[in-house]
Amino acid sequence: MSHRRPVRFLLAAAAFLAVLLPGVPAWAHAQLVAAAPTRDATLTTAPTEVTLTFNEQLNPDFTTIVLSDAARQRLAASAPQVSGPTGTIRLSTPPTNGDYTVAYRVVSTDGHTVQGSYEFTVADPSRPAPVASAPIAEPTAPPTPADGLPAGAFIALGAVGVALAGTAAYFTLAGRRRGSPPESR
Amino acid sequence: MRTNVLRAATALAVATLGLAGCGGTSSDAATPAPAPSATAVAATLTIKDPWVKAGPAGEMTAAFGTLVNDTGADVTITGAESPASPLELHEMTMKDGKMVMRPKDGGFVVKSQGTHELTPGGDHLMLMKPAEAIEPGDELSFTLQLAGGATVPFTAIAKPYAGAGESYDPGHSMAPMGSTAP
Amino acid sequence: MTSRRHLLTGAAAAGLGAAAGAGLVAAADGQAPAPAAAAASTTGTAIVPFHGPRQAGVAEDPPAHAAFVALTLPAGTDRRGLARMMRLLTDDAARLTQGVPALGDTDATLAPLPARLTVTFGFGPGLYRAAGLQPPVADLPKFRIDRLEQRWSGGDLLLQICADDPLTVAHTQRMLIKDARPFAAIRWVQQGFRRSPGVQAPEHTQRNVMGQLDGTANPRGAEIDPAVWNDDGSTTLVVRRMRAEIEKWDILSVADKENAVGRRLESGAPLSGTLEHDEPDFTKLDASGLPAMPDFSHVTRARVTDPTLKLLRRPYNYDGVPNAAGHPDAGLIFAAYQKDIARQFVPIQQRLADKDLLNEWITPIGSAVFAVPPGCAADGWIGEQALT
Repeated sequence: MSHRRPVRFLLAAAAFLAVLLPGVPAWAHAQLVAAAPTRDATLTTAPTEVTLTFNEQLNPDFTTIVLSDAARQRLAASAPQVSGPTGTIRLSTPPTNGDYTVAYRVVSTDGHTVQGSYEFTVADPSRPAPVASAPIAEPTAPPTPADGLPAGAFIALGAVGVALAGTAAYFTLAGRRRGSPPESR
Repeated sequence: MRTNVLRAATALAVATLGLAGCGGTSSDAATPAPAPSATAVAATLTIKDPWVKAGPAGEMTAAFGTLVNDTGADVTITGAESPASPLELHEMTMKDGKMVMRPKDGGFVVKSQGTHELTPGGDHLMLMKPAEAIEPGDELSFTLQLAGGATVPFTAIAKPYAGAGESYDPGHSMAPMGSTAP
Repeated sequence: MTSRRHLLTGAAAAGLGAAAGAGLVAAADGQAPAPAAAAASTTGTAIVPFHGPRQAGVAEDPPAHAAFVALTLPAGTDRRGLARMMRLLTDDAARLTQGVPALGDTDATLAPLPARLTVTFGFGPGLYRAAGLQPPVADLPKFRIDRLEQRWSGGDLLLQICADDPLTVAHTQRMLIKDARPFAAIRWVQQGFRRSPGVQAPEHTQRNVMGQLDGTANPRGAEIDPAVWNDDGSTTLVVRRMRAEIEKWDILSVADKENAVGRRLESGAPLSGTLEHDEPDFTKLDASGLPAMPDFSHVTRARVTDPTLKLLRRPYNYDGVPNAAGHPDAGLIFAAYQKDIARQFVPIQQRLADKDLLNEWITPIGSAVFAVPPGCAADGWIGEQALT
């Protein structure tokens, strides 16, 4: 599994670069382009819904959006309502003050599964602090592919990293297009 | 070694054929036990795996099977009858470089403790002129007549069959030409 | 009738057959059989009993090769004609499965190596209507994922021919078709394969042409009877031809494929677990709060908890001739046995049609349903309860 994350990273980088490199086919992988609440936001009013917008149309059958509290308890919410590239879940009750994680799993038009997560905080001064949930000693799930890379990751990637990944992606794609049939190998 | 092997193979075949549903033999069709000796019970002669080639009304066809003689003496089959058609005992023989069929003089002789195959391309019971079409899956009644007056009834299932094409020897007088031999 | 599955009687019968088979090979080439020949000959001479209250070819481990032959009855077929047909075909099957030539078998030399040959008869709705009977099975409802082609769909009579050797299947198919064609026309034939005998231990779940372990959730052991068999020894069969969109499947990463299926490709373990036969845990969440089993994965959508609602899947791969561009013609002959199609198969298929990410890479192009009548005794024939 350890190889998966770098591969995903490369793919994401390639997708990022696709628009920059003429002649390289675009990788039609969905990407999160907007979210409400926003990443790392601290809200003084509890949200009633979570809305995620991607760079391509969502298939409502293959769209999962969940909101969990700091104890990784899932908050009750509607099934995702999908409109074009946007998916919305309505929360059954507004979350109390605390840290929350939005996680999504959507499927690109090419069938590629994209999932990711981010956090935000509710700190409504008019409401009491949350009752601390019992700590959950659940074993950590195996790392899942995180295509929704934190914005910081892209920055940290840096120019060198982008160039390297892009070059690798370019040659991979070019080689694939020129690829000789398996019989001749 | 080889003899033993073949005997084993025959035993398997007989045992297994006893299990087969249709095309039962005269004396043990309803006996589910696959005892190889079952065919010998209460009969001087039995026929194993009998079948008849299906065909239209009026056209010659034939019945086949394996005659099994479990007695201590040779058995001669002198004739056969069926409500379906007049019957003759036929053999195949080479004439002018091709196989032709003709009535078997003296009938079929099944040696003591021996078997005698009735096969397409070999000896067979000829249905000279079936009154009605013999449809695949039909079950037809036959009676073998043995020298000495005994008879052996059996039932044969009709099968579609196109193998072993042969021609009839015109040296013998018989039914209209143009019919297909078994 | 548990003996059929365990093949105890078959093994006993095969002992004699094995000796005969090995010996005949030795006699043919004039040499003593090589030690390695012993293992091969037991595969060839293995026998599955034909007669019994249930038809063979359902609960046994599927042999490596199969031909599914569907036939169409002409107008005017009546019950008497059907009875004649089934007497003939039953007799052929009873002999060939035991390694004995059929009556009038023009290639009798091909009969002695049955290699676990089974012949299973299925009756489509049209056969019952021809016999003036109420069909016990009905065509499946139309599913939105269906792209059904007539040439792979329907059928009044089905012959499921399975053996561990493709030449045995070919000979049996030829013999049965010769005896069936006075009564019916060929509608379609689907030939498929699984791993060859000896390649994997029998208890291993096999992979399909998409590389997935296929059949992990099958009922096993004591689960089979309540899911599959009616009291009278009958069952039902659904045959669907699922084209695999392998060109599209190829471009996915392993993780994408695993998300579509809901299992790890390598181990077959559910994404919530670590071993193939771990029960999928649909409540398990990953670190971000997402369900470990994706909502839209095949396993999530197909899941059945009541064991009496499970399907006994007996799938075979197919792999035809690639087109000029090199795109494969491959997929799955999905054969599922269950007591009741409407109660067991249809709800699962409906859920999968409504939502299943795997649908992106599999397309149903054929569909047929059959009642599988009870087996028969040595003096009987398949279908006699309904047709006499």
